[in-house]
Amino acid sequence: MEHLLSYIVFIPLLGAILVLLTPKAYQHLYRVLAIGSTGLTLLLTLFAIKAFDGGLIPQISGEANLQMVEKVEWFSLKLGTLGTMSVDYFMGADGLNISMLLLAAIVLFIGAIACWNVKQKQKAYFSLYLLLSTSVLGCFVALDFFLFYLFFEFMLLPMYFLIGIWGGPRREYAAIKFFLYTLAGSILILIVMIGLYNSVYDPVKTAEVAGLSLTDYSVADIQSMVSEGEIEPDALVKSFNMLNMADSANYIPGSLLDKYGPVATIFGQPARWIAFLAILIGFAIKLPAFPFHTWLPDAHVEAPTPISVVLAGILLKVGGYGLIRTAYAIFPDAAFHYAWLIGFIGMFSIIYGAMNALAQKDLKKLIAFSSVSHMGFVLLGLASMTSEGVSGAIYQMFSHGLISSMLFLVAGVIYDRTHDRMIENYGGLAHQLPKYTVFVGIAFFASLGLPGFSGFVAELFVFLGAFKSASVIGAIPAWMAIVSTLGLVLAAGYYLWTFQKMFLGKFWVKDKKWTSELKDLTIREYLMLVPLVILIIAFGVYPAFLLDLINSGVESFINHLTASI
Amino acid sequence: MIGAVLQKADGLAEQLQSLTEGVGYLWPEITLVAGLIMVLLFDLIFSNKKEVGLAAISISVLAFLLVAELVFFVPNMQSKDLFTGLITVSSGAALFKIGFTLTAIMALIMAVQSKKYFNEYFSSSEWLISLFGLLLGAFLMTASSNLLMIYISVEVVSISSYLLTGLGKGLKKSEAALKYLLYGAAASAVMLYGMSWLYGLTGSLDINTDTFIVGISSAQPMTLNIALFMVLVGILFKLGAFPLHIWSPDVYEATPTPTVTVFSIVPKLAAVFVLFRLVSSTQSTDFDWTLWLGILAIGGMTIGNFSALWQRNAKRMLAYSSIAHAAFMLTGILLLNRTGIEATVFYGFVYLLMNLTAFYLIQAFENETGTSDYESLKGLGKSMPYISVLLLIVMISLTGLPPVAGFNAKLYLFSAVYDQYSSTGEKILLWVFIFGLLNTVVSLFYYIRIPYLLFFKPDNQTIEGQARFNWNMIWGTLLVLPLFLLFFRSDWFVDLLNSINFVF
Repeated sequence: MEHLLSYIVFIPLLGAILVLLTPKAYQHLYRVLAIGSTGLTLLLTLFAIKAFDGGLIPQISGEANLQMVEKVEWFSLKLGTLGTMSVDYFMGADGLNISMLLLAAIVLFIGAIACWNVKQKQKAYFSLYLLLSTSVLGCFVALDFFLFYLFFEFMLLPMYFLIGIWGGPRREYAAIKFFLYTLAGSILILIVMIGLYNSVYDPVKTAEVAGLSLTDYSVADIQSMVSEGEIEPDALVKSFNMLNMADSANYIPGSLLDKYGPVATIFGQPARWIAFLAILIGFAIKLPAFPFHTWLPDAHVEAPTPISVVLAGILLKVGGYGLIRTAYAIFPDAAFHYAWLIGFIGMFSIIYGAMNALAQKDLKKLIAFSSVSHMGFVLLGLASMTSEGVSGAIYQMFSHGLISSMLFLVAGVIYDRTHDRMIENYGGLAHQLPKYTVFVGIAFFASLGLPGFSGFVAELFVFLGAFKSASVIGAIPAWMAIVSTLGLVLAAGYYLWTFQKMFLGKFWVKDKKWTSELKDLTIREYLMLVPLVILIIAFGVYPAFLLDLINSGVESFINHLTASI
Repeated sequence: MIGAVLQKADGLAEQLQSLTEGVGYLWPEITLVAGLIMVLLFDLIFSNKKEVGLAAISISVLAFLLVAELVFFVPNMQSKDLFTGLITVSSGAALFKIGFTLTAIMALIMAVQSKKYFNEYFSSSEWLISLFGLLLGAFLMTASSNLLMIYISVEVVSISSYLLTGLGKGLKKSEAALKYLLYGAAASAVMLYGMSWLYGLTGSLDINTDTFIVGISSAQPMTLNIALFMVLVGILFKLGAFPLHIWSPDVYEATPTPTVTVFSIVPKLAAVFVLFRLVSSTQSTDFDWTLWLGILAIGGMTIGNFSALWQRNAKRMLAYSSIAHAAFMLTGILLLNRTGIEATVFYGFVYLLMNLTAFYLIQAFENETGTSDYESLKGLGKSMPYISVLLLIVMISLTGLPPVAGFNAKLYLFSAVYDQYSSTGEKILLWVFIFGLLNTVVSLFYYIRIPYLLFFKPDNQTIEGQARFNWNMIWGTLLVLPLFLLFFRSDWFVDLLNSINFVF
């Protein structure tokens, strides 16, 4: 199917427009539209997965073997003597993003089902939800930095309103905090983006402008002509193509971020290092990693359940994916230089998040801090710069997307009934809500990394990579892996403690009135939880399905990294 | 002095011929004067019920002017010196005039749409005459290539502005007008003094001539620096830029919205144009434009943004925001190259659209509530959802987020700064770059406050009788659409800018 990715990305937008056009008298249709359009997106994504050939080895620094490519020129501007600036509508799938696309489609669909009970201002709610869906999906498949940035920034606005209008008591504070934090991050990314596009040219388009036929000259010829200065600067086409940016041969000689030229410095540090740090912080805020995580607990606690699901399930992954696609792929040398720091932040986030989770009284806050801890594994895996570590990082993002969605859904179940999430206010719920307890148990055990669930596979790979790193590539020392294992123990601690406190023992709730409210799961809740359970177990016992999709991509990614250190 | 002015033309006949020839190029200014006289005569001849007539005359004159400007717009026209070098017509100036005319038309439409202002403004000719006067001054500012002409046109704009601020009754108005007048008088006195120094240094008032440029590059550096600083004072005052911005919040708050719309756009962009001229003819001197404008830009965006955080009135907030935006425009000028100028003009036009829309929509609320205080905006998102969403889009654009034109404007501007930094390595450019982008985060906080009040706060008031469709929605949509267009197809406008002759 042609334009498959465009359909996947823009069907929710179409849904949003339909919601806006449907008069208020038919407002019961809004949620049908939301579920319908995200469902269609999911269906098309499954098509894409089926069509995706995991055996093709993508070239991370170029378009070879990129699949489902869509590339149309969006606009180009002549900048006089500075050449041309060219922006493409450029999307494609490879091993690095196909799994994220699948995750996003699944979580958005389940999130849409979770929206069923929203009663107030439905039109605004569902159109914002669908807008958010489009921007998240677009973020994962966009391969032009300008397009990526458009989607990346556009996530903030719907999220701000979704938290700020439909959220809990301190929603306004949480919403603006979320907005300001992530905007600060994206400004750092914007700074690097401006730097990158001014430093990188597109050899193919440059050849066109310079009047050289690609049949006579290969791309390598053109690259060497540029580096020899045989092509005039005003003929250079500067591009936002992320894949071009990853190829160090595409840098304009003498530009600030050029790897081979004389090392340009900013504040006494090499420019590439500074750029890498800026982009690292930008995505670390999104991820979130210590010390940029403080917006997350607030946002999670105040956000309504479906929005928490989307936030934890997908939005955090944009941070991880962004690190892989931009920071690592574009600045592998700097990534290696700062591997120790990144590994340390990862390790510290794992421990720090888990310790904080231990101290929480609010169920949602506990889950939020466990997210910080689990996202630490992503950083640790990436920092190891081994194929196990990076596979583990991607697997962890995928698995955490499913598990955290489920965790927030089960937290939402109890909140829907009693409007209270304090762990200490419940006891022995297993007697009253046996089926619910089973699902909570599965979610908790999956999250603490029990074998048989997807989280185990992910963390295993991350640890393998982190241990091996010292001997293979020397990116991070083995003790970081050893200390990080402590995170698993702590996770077992806070989950088991919470489970015991809330579900085991004699039935007790703080307010007697709640007893009648506490009914077991409804059909709609089964509809959301059962598929997640199946997926979490399936990816736990049969990891090959996902690994086959991502392996060739990761392998190529690691080769790209090691070749350019 | 007169000798210097006239030395170009030899014989009297030739002088006369060049004068008559020049008059033809001044048709936009002549149209404005004709409109002004028509308004004045209409006011004298008819004694009452003049509102409709005056509104019709003024709008049709400006609409005619706009159409004519668009029809006769030639992007790659050669610049032409007229009246022995007093005036230079160029396609860049013509582009700015289109922007000014558009702003004035929108201001008139805003005044017509509001019952209160309709009775107040169109019952006599004072407001219209001052408005036409301001426009005429701004037109001449873009055409001046002679220090005296610059001074005179700046004064025409200033005097019209004082009148516009002081029109009508009210303590706040009188205070604002007096403040404005005192600041303005001081600023223009300093500017005029600086100009006299420049004349003393070079022996020429015409900043395009070789005499001026040679004279200024051999001038004693200290004297030159002081002289240019003094000239800069007057221009920064018109630009409403740091550190000469103090008058603007009071004036913005006290002045009726249609007038503020003009204030926040026309004199500012005209001042930008004058600065282009001044910078391009003095850039090869000892005066370090990049450094000084860089400092002013960093100061302006920081002061503007941080002050805007504390405001409790939408118009005051926009006043501080326009101080910050003026600083962003300085950022483009300090690069001293064509890319910088193009980025500034792009920014300027996006700014024009954004402010026009913002004030238009704020007036739509003002018409209902009678004030632009934050308190009055609370919860209005429910009674006026469409207008509120439009205002949200404008605020996003003012912050500089995609997918609206404000993002492209910032992107081009800072790309130009970055590029210049990477080729020259001047530290000040790096600081401007970093400060400029980080200021975006600060600005989000106060821009998003407006939608926050509209949508998040419970409505403590309900506006009755909001029609499903009204003119505000249509005009608002028409104003917002270009913001999207300039994001998705910014190349159209940039291609136009590429072809425009900005050589002065």
